[in-house]
Amino acid sequence: MSERILRVDVTPVIKSGMIDTRARSVAKIIPVRIRKKISNLRTSLGYTIKGDFSEEQAEHAAKVLFSDPITEQSSTNGSIGSGLLPGVEESDITIQVGYKAGVTDNKAMAAEDGLKTVFPDKHLKVASTVSYHLWLMEEDVDLSSLTEVLHNPMLEQVSIISGKNRAAQLLQFPSLDEQRYIPPNTVNLDVDDSTLMDISENGLLALNLEEMKAIQSYYRNKSTQTSRETLNLPPHSPTDVELECLAQTWSEHCSHKIFSAKIEHIDTETGEKSTIDSLFKTHIVSPTSDISNDVDWLLSVFHDNSGVIAWTDDWSLCMKAETHNSPSALDPYGGAMTGIVGVNRDIMGTGLGARPIANTDVFCFGPPGYSGPLPKGLFHPSRIFTGVHAGVRSGGNESGIPTVNGAIVFDERYIGKPLVYCGTVGIMPRYLPDGRESHVKTPSPGDLIYMVGGRVGSDGIHGATFSSLELTEQSPSSAVQIGDPITQKKMMDMILEARDQGLIQVITDNGAGGLSSSVGEMAELTGGATIELGRVPLKQQGLSSWEILVSESQERMTVGIRKEDARDFEKLADLHEVDATPIGKFTKNGHFQINHNGECVGSLPIDFLHEGCPQLELHSEWVPPVQSEVALPRPSKDILSETLVEILSRPNVASKEWWVRSYDHEVIGQTVVKPFVGENHDAPGDAAVIAPIPGSTIGAVISNGIVPRYSDIDAYSMTAAAIDEAVRNAVCVGVDLEMIAGLDNFCWPDPIQSEKTPDGKQKLAQLVRSNRALEDVCRAYRLPCISGKDSMKNDAVIDGRKISVPPTLLFSLIGRHRDITKSVTSDFKSDGDIIYLLGLTEQEIDATELAYMLMERGEGGIGNSAPKLDPVRNMEMYRALTKAMERKLVRSAHDCSDGGLSVCLAESCFGHDGGAHVDVSQVLSENDNLNEWGILFGESLGRIVVSVSPQNSPEFEKMVEGHAWYKIGTVTHEKKLVIVDEKRTLLESDIESLKIAWKGTLDGGH
Amino acid sequence: MSAPSVAVLSGFGINCEYETMAAFEFAGAETFKIHVNSIVRGHEKLLDYDILAIPGGFSFGDHLGSGRLLGNRLRFSLGDQVKSFVNSGRPVIGICNGFQVLVKMGLLPGDSGLTMTQTASLTTNDSGKYEDRWVTIELDANSPCIWTRGIQRLRVPVRHGEGKFVTNDVNLMDKWEGRGQLVARYVDPESQYPASSSDVLPYPTSPNQSWRNIAGVCDPTGLIFGIMPHPEAFHSTWLSPDWTRKPPKKHGISPAIAIFRNAVEYSLEKETE
Repeated sequence: MSERILRVDVTPVIKSGMIDTRARSVAKIIPVRIRKKISNLRTSLGYTIKGDFSEEQAEHAAKVLFSDPITEQSSTNGSIGSGLLPGVEESDITIQVGYKAGVTDNKAMAAEDGLKTVFPDKHLKVASTVSYHLWLMEEDVDLSSLTEVLHNPMLEQVSIISGKNRAAQLLQFPSLDEQRYIPPNTVNLDVDDSTLMDISENGLLALNLEEMKAIQSYYRNKSTQTSRETLNLPPHSPTDVELECLAQTWSEHCSHKIFSAKIEHIDTETGEKSTIDSLFKTHIVSPTSDISNDVDWLLSVFHDNSGVIAWTDDWSLCMKAETHNSPSALDPYGGAMTGIVGVNRDIMGTGLGARPIANTDVFCFGPPGYSGPLPKGLFHPSRIFTGVHAGVRSGGNESGIPTVNGAIVFDERYIGKPLVYCGTVGIMPRYLPDGRESHVKTPSPGDLIYMVGGRVGSDGIHGATFSSLELTEQSPSSAVQIGDPITQKKMMDMILEARDQGLIQVITDNGAGGLSSSVGEMAELTGGATIELGRVPLKQQGLSSWEILVSESQERMTVGIRKEDARDFEKLADLHEVDATPIGKFTKNGHFQINHNGECVGSLPIDFLHEGCPQLELHSEWVPPVQSEVALPRPSKDILSETLVEILSRPNVASKEWWVRSYDHEVIGQTVVKPFVGENHDAPGDAAVIAPIPGSTIGAVISNGIVPRYSDIDAYSMTAAAIDEAVRNAVCVGVDLEMIAGLDNFCWPDPIQSEKTPDGKQKLAQLVRSNRALEDVCRAYRLPCISGKDSMKNDAVIDGRKISVPPTLLFSLIGRHRDITKSVTSDFKSDGDIIYLLGLTEQEIDATELAYMLMERGEGGIGNSAPKLDPVRNMEMYRALTKAMERKLVRSAHDCSDGGLSVCLAESCFGHDGGAHVDVSQVLSENDNLNEWGILFGESLGRIVVSVSPQNSPEFEKMVEGHAWYKIGTVTHEKKLVIVDEKRTLLESDIESLKIAWKGTLDGGH
Repeated sequence: MSAPSVAVLSGFGINCEYETMAAFEFAGAETFKIHVNSIVRGHEKLLDYDILAIPGGFSFGDHLGSGRLLGNRLRFSLGDQVKSFVNSGRPVIGICNGFQVLVKMGLLPGDSGLTMTQTASLTTNDSGKYEDRWVTIELDANSPCIWTRGIQRLRVPVRHGEGKFVTNDVNLMDKWEGRGQLVARYVDPESQYPASSSDVLPYPTSPNQSWRNIAGVCDPTGLIFGIMPHPEAFHSTWLSPDWTRKPPKKHGISPAIAIFRNAVEYSLEKETE
């Protein structure tokens, strides 16, 4: 039989009790003006099969593989896919969408696998499609807007099918043009400066002139030239392989040049002029290393793929948070999915391999209801939101890792680049069966280098350098990928078994920079490595040497294995149906050598690769911004009560339940405090508590803090507030403050002064101030940072307009919980319980959710004085509260954050199905500056609302004596929130209507 | 008498094997994580174990329909082994994705001849989306199911996008109902026991709008049991969604373990017979 194309299409049976749910979901994303013209919408899935395959075989496959005999109907001649559905008239229009060639098609890969089960001897290729069949009431439907919402042209192709001869209109099987192998090129760097910069820019190398000159001078060196001659490499010039390898390793993404830079800092407010030699060393490493003198649980910080802490005598935990911003802007689904499965690999690549056990997701998007102009080439924020959410859902759920905590923040400046922070917690036995400590990598020269998991393709080329550049209309689609969680899950299962069998000597993931980074980094441990690119399994032939080296194709780990273990390792890979290929070995000759088909195509000294990048020299200058003052309306009961409703319905504060519920948050059976708490499981949890060892009550706490609004006044305040929020959230569930560790994750607009960035000095000054806050607060909280990440080019230039994100720090926290059966949740528990406010309240309205709400209405500005943090005072109170929790005196605890005390109280009521009567007169009387707005909506930091049973309240009060505490009210049966100042009612609201406002904004279009 | 041994399948995207093993261990069994391929390739024999568990997860990403690809692998490669396992009177449980696998293999609701003919399906929730939420299920006291003996109700989480139980033959539904095969149904937690009914309850009491509120079914012998919610995810008292509101008298093993204990006890009884 010869090769042919067969099309199997499958559509849901429609009858009583059976519906086409996919069609319903799709209808929701179609703009209303178009939806009104559609009388019926149906969908079908298509599988185009290529190979020697008969129609009978296709029919058999359609029955046993592609369609469900109970719920679906199928055709094997393309008829359903083109709009000829059984039992109905042919569609007016059918829109068929399929992937472009070279894009990961998970459904098709699953189908190929399934066909192998049914027809073991056949080699069949499959491409998947989806068809949307429409019956129209009116003919003049805006098809281009319709196809726009149904596909992403960067990754997908589309065909609009109608009329007669429909088969001919179906999408062709996507096949890549044969790629011609281009042998390695020599790049002449013996040129003038402007040509050097042309080479960098045209090659998407993202290297600056000093860096290009450092490379130039390396190749002008006599001893370089001599050693290159012996390898048969061009003596005076780099090969393209070498230049690409250097560009990846030296990219902002991989080497954090801005955080390592020498900065001349000027503060125009104080007159300070100082030099900072590396923000990273000065403000992040130094506090952690000082704290490490006091604690014995910091096992591995900063240098590995994630930070590791000694959680118990037997187990360690590790955590890492990453961003995947640029890819998520271009393809929200694929970008976010590769973000989450990518950070999972950081955990797998920690020490000798850790098991991911919890994910966190924090997103920053443009407002979902944004109706302003949208620059060409950008998706609407609601589409980004939906796509990112779907990507993280697939990535997390399909990998079997629970998403336990997160946040979503909205601001118009995230329209240019959304921020997609993905974090993962992992667990490892402290010691492997062979006695080795799991957090220490143990490679030796001679060990074999294996590439494990996926294959290498032309997808994902230049991701690292691309993310080190701003986003433009020309951003390459090759930088976008779709993840394959199942290939990765198989690999993860296999890697963890290999670890426990003692087979792994060293492991790291292939992320940014691909093999050039993973092998290049590990080569530092032994002092060299040699790889043979000809052995690397490819998705398509014809890739040139440099492409194989730097491709960021997903789902791959690089693992070092002793020669004597190779057989066992390969056997294990075979059992799990995972590709594992030896591609080279570790050496100690000081060089990272790259061969291709036996010929040396590149060789770089390890020390030049990792230490040769010249330090950036930058300038920062702090000029405090001047904002208009907040214009507070005259307070009245009505205005204050209405304000609470309005704030609860603002996207930043509103319930995210509709979205978060579609993340699996309890796979693995360990989630003790879930994202939702309370009587109806719909009130917000403050932090996640997990108990990863079945049957054991020792736990871990995971929380996050993020407050980008405050950057509009001062990034110092923003940073301090983010850290306090993470700590406060963790305190609310009862974290053990003796073991808390942090992760700093900076997303900044480009802070380098240039023609394109005339305010670079200010943005860098914001970064300096942020780092200083990080150091001050982490020292005061004795909270060492164990890992971090920075993404420094979060700008988009579209239509000549630059949109920069506000300086944003996500602070993630992981801590120990001594006894998870003493965890506390945010919901009030019983009528009659006494409500306390802990912490001091100042008149702090500036940059709050309230201030932004008023400003957006056109009333005043956001003010000039962001909430201030007193970490020493807070920590003392947090410790006292924690002690009271250990004695089981506290029935609920909820942190005061966005929207202040009134929002906090409302949320605690939501979880109880009751209300609260609160008198704030004592708080008001102690502070002359404080008014109704300040007490109800101000965002003073370090405050927690707790409830205590009446019989425990005397003991509780004794335990918090000496700290700021106020007995402010009682939990009531009546579903009302009433806040008074003695006899005067400040605010009165019915809990049900507050809850409707809070739940209604982000309800997913229902 | 030794503890019954449980083969807990793993690999290809199954992802609830850890908590499934924990649940069986708490119930007194000895558990073994077995990669599907270990059996397919003959390194392991199903008949060396007393109980078979197919845990939840996303086998093969649930592409081409949940459970279909793993179901095919088991049906084509292990059909005979599975048949002899069941014919020798040993219990089988499929949870969530494992239930989907058993339905698509034709083992559930199944027939007395073990013909492995698919007669029902688990299809997309009417909400159109995957959801993680807690539900209450009621177990049929008159069912032959050995897994649910003596249990009236359980609170358990559902975590699926395709859990709506349907068939194309309503007469079959009546037959299964008559035989007590429709063993687990979603019920309103506020209602008085017994309350299970065939009128579809409103969302989210019924999270997926399953026909007759079906959450789980067994085969005619009662040995094979499939359930969409995850009893294994509630192996300990602190995993309930609101235990901080209603703390248990004593923390530890949760009521959901009764399901697994039933199978362990059944295996022990069988051994002594």
